[in-house]
Amino acid sequence: MEMFLNGLGVVFLWLAVEYCLRHETAQSLEDASLTPFADDPEVARRVELETGKTVNAVAPEEARPGWVNLEM
Amino acid sequence: MSTATIGQAYNYKVVRQFVIATVFWGVVGMAMGVWIASQLVWPEMNLDLPWTTFGRLRPLHTSLVIFGFAGSAQFAASYYAVQRTCQVRLYSDKLAAFTFWGWQSVIVIMFITLPLGFTTTKEYAEIEFSGAVWMAVVWVAYAVVFFTTVVQRKTKHIYVGNWFFGAFILVIAMLHVVNHLSIPVDWFKSYPVYSGATDAMVQWWYGHNAVGFFLTTGFLGMMYYFVPKQVNRPVYSYRLSIVHFWALITLYIWAGPHHLHYTALPDWAQSLGMAMSLILLAPSWGGMINGMMTLSGAWHQLRTDPILRFLVLSLAFYGMSTFEGPMMAIKTVNALSHYTDWTIGHVHAGALGWVAMITFGATYHMVPKVFGRERMHSTPLINLHFWLATIGTVLYIASMWVNGITQGLMWRAINEDGTLTYSFVEALQASHPGFIVRFAGGVFFLSGMLLMAYNVWRTVRVADVALAHRDAQIA
Repeated sequence: MEMFLNGLGVVFLWLAVEYCLRHETAQSLEDASLTPFADDPEVARRVELETGKTVNAVAPEEARPGWVNLEM
Repeated sequence: MSTATIGQAYNYKVVRQFVIATVFWGVVGMAMGVWIASQLVWPEMNLDLPWTTFGRLRPLHTSLVIFGFAGSAQFAASYYAVQRTCQVRLYSDKLAAFTFWGWQSVIVIMFITLPLGFTTTKEYAEIEFSGAVWMAVVWVAYAVVFFTTVVQRKTKHIYVGNWFFGAFILVIAMLHVVNHLSIPVDWFKSYPVYSGATDAMVQWWYGHNAVGFFLTTGFLGMMYYFVPKQVNRPVYSYRLSIVHFWALITLYIWAGPHHLHYTALPDWAQSLGMAMSLILLAPSWGGMINGMMTLSGAWHQLRTDPILRFLVLSLAFYGMSTFEGPMMAIKTVNALSHYTDWTIGHVHAGALGWVAMITFGATYHMVPKVFGRERMHSTPLINLHFWLATIGTVLYIASMWVNGITQGLMWRAINEDGTLTYSFVEALQASHPGFIVRFAGGVFFLSGMLLMAYNVWRTVRVADVALAHRDAQIA
């Protein structure tokens, strides 16, 4: 029973990882890893300088009055 | 680097609210911990009142730090990171606001009912029936806000940090509902539908995964966002992060039976729990190494950045406690460690060293951004907080290790005629110095938390509306 459940766990893990990586390339995984910087051009520039990688960051748009406030 | 303009402003209001709640419940919950630590040194601190005895305040302490402090931190971090990595505003301002006020009301319910003695008696799930139902409603709202935001994302890929947050939300919902299945006889009195060893198994399936998913998986999501952001480098291996995710969620859910070694639980289930706990070391260390190696070529930043120090030290403690856990799950080791202070030391290596440290790092990262400041009010105060927290954690876990091994050895010592060498009271007397050191460690840790509250207050007090507007754009 224990060996069966352990085997089932390993098979599930292998299938899940393979499924998630099925269409991924080295480039697409690198692009995915840069996601946290993609909305922050200032930080993205520093990342590009330090790593030599290209970050497709987007620039901030103009503030729209009323969208954000500091009320708690 | 290409540039474009898209989108609308992020919802930072709910992030700000949860950040403040994190700091508030951190102070209250940790102060409660120091109070009950003092009760074990000086029993008079019970105050001879039923509401302030150790038995009632201990569940309140764990509930406040787990659900109030750590829970609010994960709401804040997940709402912040999911918006920024999906480049879309959080789904439904009203539902997001409901999750904030709903979650705070859950913590207030705990704050009132637990000292009054209303409890399920299930560890980390003490909140009684109507409170538990309300908690589930708020959690479902959280799931709707988070997953709808992911569905509405502007980015092609779902960043791995969001996978961890998503798993944390789904699994906690499942654990909470299954463990709380009970028959109510009153608003705050119910009886579980399970009994005997089954009840114990369900409880520790929940209890261990409260640690595995509430106090680990969500914080790993935090790690995968805030460590790269603070270091200005992408995560060391994105492929490893995906393997880490699947391995962790595949294995963690099986490890609960190691809390029930040498009990009425079937032996095969105990052995399965032990085996899964040992295998769990691999993904835990895989994730820890992935986080640590993100600093490759940037270690020098640790000299000047105390926020990064918090994040890296949290990973070091994560590695240490996820090594210690599997070792303690081995039945022969558990025969010595179980029911001793070693377990308390282990859980605090994770709670103080991993959960609280990464929360401090993430909070110091978020506060200036969501309140429109360039940086925190005082960087030296962050540095001082770092050292107070580190000293406090080391004092706490070292004293509990010494106490745990002392207690384990004294309890199992027998004379030649088979009688016990030591009485329980003798083991308790031997533990007293350790209780004093643990109390001192708690005072150090709480002092750091108070410094953080002061630093956050000074930063928030001079919040810059214009800068907050700019930072809240989907940039």
